[in-house]
Amino acid sequence: MFSLKKFFLILIFFFTLTSSPVLAQDQDVDIHFFWGQGCPHCEKEKIFLQSLEQKYPDIKINSYEVHKKEGYQLLQEMGQKLNADTSGIPFTVIGDQYVAGFLSDETTGVQIEQALDSKQIEPPQTIKLPLLGTIEIKNFSLPLLTFMVALLDGFNPCAMWTLFFLINLLLGFKDRRRMWILGTTFIVTSAFVYFLFLSAWLNLFLFLGFLPWVKIIVGLVALVSGSYYLKEYVVNKNGACRVTGSEKRQKVFTRLKAITQKKQLALAIVGIILLAFVVNLVELVCSAGLPAVYTQILTLTHLPSWQYYLYLVFYILIFMLDDLFIFFVAMTTLKAVGLESKYARYSHLIGGILMITIGLLMLFKPELLMFG
Amino acid sequence: MKVIKIGAIWCSACLVMKPRWQQIEKENTWLQAQYLDFDQDQDKIKKYNLTQDSLPVFVFLDKKGQEFLRLDGEIPIKELVKTINKHKDK
Repeated sequence: MFSLKKFFLILIFFFTLTSSPVLAQDQDVDIHFFWGQGCPHCEKEKIFLQSLEQKYPDIKINSYEVHKKEGYQLLQEMGQKLNADTSGIPFTVIGDQYVAGFLSDETTGVQIEQALDSKQIEPPQTIKLPLLGTIEIKNFSLPLLTFMVALLDGFNPCAMWTLFFLINLLLGFKDRRRMWILGTTFIVTSAFVYFLFLSAWLNLFLFLGFLPWVKIIVGLVALVSGSYYLKEYVVNKNGACRVTGSEKRQKVFTRLKAITQKKQLALAIVGIILLAFVVNLVELVCSAGLPAVYTQILTLTHLPSWQYYLYLVFYILIFMLDDLFIFFVAMTTLKAVGLESKYARYSHLIGGILMITIGLLMLFKPELLMFG
Repeated sequence: MKVIKIGAIWCSACLVMKPRWQQIEKENTWLQAQYLDFDQDQDKIKKYNLTQDSLPVFVFLDKKGQEFLRLDGEIPIKELVKTINKHKDK
């Protein structure tokens, strides 16, 4: 078993990170960025360039305001040298290549990165850690991170109690078909609500971009979440269930009972969907940390939109694994079963270490969280 | 000896403990056991004065009805059997 001693050693390693990432090239590459006050596309590109700087530590961004004499003259000189039309801003020069205007990270942003690639500048691929040696970052890939964070999030017992309530009520029915339909409806609705929640976080971070204060807040959230999970690992050794919100629980149970006993199946389905929506929305608060941290990392990867959502679907599938397991076992054996606490405990330990590592990287080495 | 088992239908650890107790009760027919639901049997539970905010709770009573041991959370079946055998004559 992973001892606490080892965990603290790893923490110390991260705190004392002294060696720089290995880079493909040691020389700096200059990016000349010409912008103007009041230009919205320039502001967009500024945010993009900030993230680029984090991703490629060896680039140097030189900004010039074109409404100032010096900036304007330099832009004209560059235009003549490159034989380019410099009537519009933003205007970006990388070596002997230029990019005029800025539409989005996915279009013009990609053009700028391609220009960097031609200069053989690559994001760091390996990192040297004391004692542990060189670690390949690509091995700690985004799918693996998605899997681990989603699994940890799934063991959060917040919304699980409603599922246990429902299973208990369904097991009292003689109609197996009704049992399956109502249970599946609840699980699918819960997954959908969570998907909406993750999408909201994702779009918020895409909108905000990689701003320094966002990075600090998300880093701190990761540290707090990690500490909470480690505390759970240390304190709750016997996997006891916390007794909270008795009144709310009773209310939900009474509603659930009334809904599942409705004679018309369609009415029962509508009731279950509404209740699953409400319960999951209320319980979202207790798992806000992990989705926020995960979606922030996701936005750092600059993927096409459809791939972002594909990752969210993957996250939901892993997140729902324990619910699906409990539901299918109960429906096939006609007995309500619980998951032994040792699984939740290990997930708390691994998840706690993971979240603290992410938090520290987010604060001190965010470029290492830019997968892909 | 009598064991009062306090649990709830929404509590995963209580569900994990259920088959463990079923096995113990089957193998030790002399053992008296009573299950109380945290949400349904509050009146009966009150007298055991639950101070902790966690479930399940197992209250062990001697022949005179006096509590001599209290356990909570998920307990390995081996540990439960050992405890029961140790206090068998109480």
